[in-house]
Amino acid sequence: MSFFRPNFLHGLARSAVIVGLAAVPFVLPAPARAQTDIPVGVIMPTTGKEARPGQYQREGIELAIKQINDGGGIYIKSLKKKLPIREVFYDDGSENARSASLAERAMSSDKVIAVIGGYSTPLGEAESVMPDRYQTPWITPGAAASSIFSHGYQYTFGALSTVESLGYTTGQFLGWLADGGKLRKGLKIAMAVENTDHGKDYVNGVTKWVGQHPGYFTVAFNEKFEEHSTDFSGLLQKIKAAHADIFLSDAHLPDYVTMQRQYLQAGMFHQMVSYGARGPEADARKAMGAGVDYIFAGVWWSADLKYPQAKKFVTDYTAFAGHAPDSWYAAIAYDAMRILAQSIERAGSLDKAAIRDQLRSGDLKNSLVPGQTLKFESNGQAAYPFVIVQNKPDGKVDIVYPPDAATGPPVAPMPRP
Amino acid sequence: MTATDFLNLLIAALLLAGTYAAMAVGMTVIYGVMKIVNLAHAGFLMLGAYYVYELHERLGIFPLLGVLLAFPAFFAAGVLVHWVLGRGVPVSDTPTLASLLLMFGLWLVLQNVGYLIWGTDDRSILTPMTFATIRFGEITIPKIGLVVFLSAIVSLAALEFVLHKTWFGRSIRALIQNRYSCRIVGIPVERTARLTFGLGVAFAGTAGGLLALLYPFSPDFGRPFLLRSFVIIVLGGLESFSGVFAGALILALVETFGILFVPSSYQPAISFSLLVLALIVLPDGVAGFVAKMRSRGAA
Repeated sequence: MSFFRPNFLHGLARSAVIVGLAAVPFVLPAPARAQTDIPVGVIMPTTGKEARPGQYQREGIELAIKQINDGGGIYIKSLKKKLPIREVFYDDGSENARSASLAERAMSSDKVIAVIGGYSTPLGEAESVMPDRYQTPWITPGAAASSIFSHGYQYTFGALSTVESLGYTTGQFLGWLADGGKLRKGLKIAMAVENTDHGKDYVNGVTKWVGQHPGYFTVAFNEKFEEHSTDFSGLLQKIKAAHADIFLSDAHLPDYVTMQRQYLQAGMFHQMVSYGARGPEADARKAMGAGVDYIFAGVWWSADLKYPQAKKFVTDYTAFAGHAPDSWYAAIAYDAMRILAQSIERAGSLDKAAIRDQLRSGDLKNSLVPGQTLKFESNGQAAYPFVIVQNKPDGKVDIVYPPDAATGPPVAPMPRP
Repeated sequence: MTATDFLNLLIAALLLAGTYAAMAVGMTVIYGVMKIVNLAHAGFLMLGAYYVYELHERLGIFPLLGVLLAFPAFFAAGVLVHWVLGRGVPVSDTPTLASLLLMFGLWLVLQNVGYLIWGTDDRSILTPMTFATIRFGEITIPKIGLVVFLSAIVSLAALEFVLHKTWFGRSIRALIQNRYSCRIVGIPVERTARLTFGLGVAFAGTAGGLLALLYPFSPDFGRPFLLRSFVIIVLGGLESFSGVFAGALILALVETFGILFVPSSYQPAISFSLLVLALIVLPDGVAGFVAKMRSRGAA
């Protein structure tokens, strides 16, 4: 067969026309659809190792969306009407690679207006490269490592104060205890932190306070461990051999439970024990019972804060989720959604750059966070004070620091079991 | 480091060795007889943990009794699994890709069944013994760790008794040596293989129950222990039951004392470095090395 015969060329031309006509819907721009809602991407782990806190954060976001939509939605000035928020949810399974690809999908093909996502620093770090690439505002209510906000990104925002501040506040609390005579000065601190930017920031914060206040404490031991380990017995033996007086760890929930169980099984004791921002979680109490008594934690929010809006949130969340808020997870995610909604309204349109500008310049008054104002600093990360909470017997948790927010006295040193 | 610190570390390593030995023996049993690398071992460890947990939570059965009850339950389960799946595995004197993939697939199925039933949350078994310790001055021994260690020793001693004092045990050892000769002397090879698979799964389930007393667990529970089991059976000798003791002890000592010299974040690297070293320097494991030395000495 010759390729240059007229019949063949005729058939080829006919096929090309058919293919060309079939491709038209895909290459011509789609006709404009009227905007009927505001799609907001929510990327949280609801399966995998971080499922529990991820679920709590999802519930906080969904409560905020429900309350906003119950009020008719967000008023968009350019459209002269209110639009409801439509949540587009993605479960990243606590996997970094999946988290990043879901953020990319949300911002590109799914065309959300903004994304709230990234519970835990590793997942947040994975997602954080996407917002500037796709010029879509992204707020993380669960990732606090300063490394995320040190790249000069314009579309990246974090609703948690820095972990370095958490470490610094921990040092401040211990120093306050020493000033009050509850702890002796000159005590030794042993630190074991997760091998992530989160852990690194925590160490920086504690050592910064210790360095600025000579004579209070010395850091006698400082080592990192891999996240999601099953066995910490070797590390704990090293900590035991350091003969420190205070044990500070920075760990996420699964490692907190595993390490504290093995700490108790090894018969270890320190005058004060903390696992960073982990302490009062219900899962830990269930796994260890009285074994979590007197552990203290620096948290971004507590249900015992005396603000009226905090009390209302506890009531609303309990009715919505069917359980009381567990630690800070839901509250911060709730406020992340609220500040996003406020920024969309102030922008007056669904233009992402305008929303970003409002996030940068605005602040959420009447916030749930300590200090009652949520505002992003120039690098995109929030800055507000921490509160220190301490587990007490029978499941009670008290705010013990700062004194003006305290709901109970600190117990220091911890009583021997 | 003081003498007390050293002793505390040594005790921790010994207790860990007992746990590791109980964990790995199920895999050795199955590999030795059937040359199947049982990747589903991780799944059975996980199911053993949940079995003991559910008996404790729902029926109030003391966890150690639950571990005892796990043995016959998982033995029956193992026999059933082999009856359903084992026929699809080609009989061979060396590991086959088919058996590896089959067991890997079974592991994934077990893991996802676990997620379906129990979700992703970590569970823990909490008893009055969980945090109790025995103190001799500054030496501290966790009671639960000691109980798990002793339980592991008892189960391994029982296995040794079965292997050396029963006809079934002698059949297993014969099958490890030469499958074809077993047929000649009248050993029912397929039945013995099936019962051995059941025995291996029973040990896996029991070990899972013991591990659940020490660690929180989720459907992904068995994964880190599977990798350690590999290291132990390679170190000890792939077909040697006594080698499992040696391999577990070596791994536990190296892991526990190794992090005195390297940061603890490198602990996983210690296990895998040991695996690579064993494959290069001691390809037949410690048991094979000792057997060679003995035969040279006899010669």
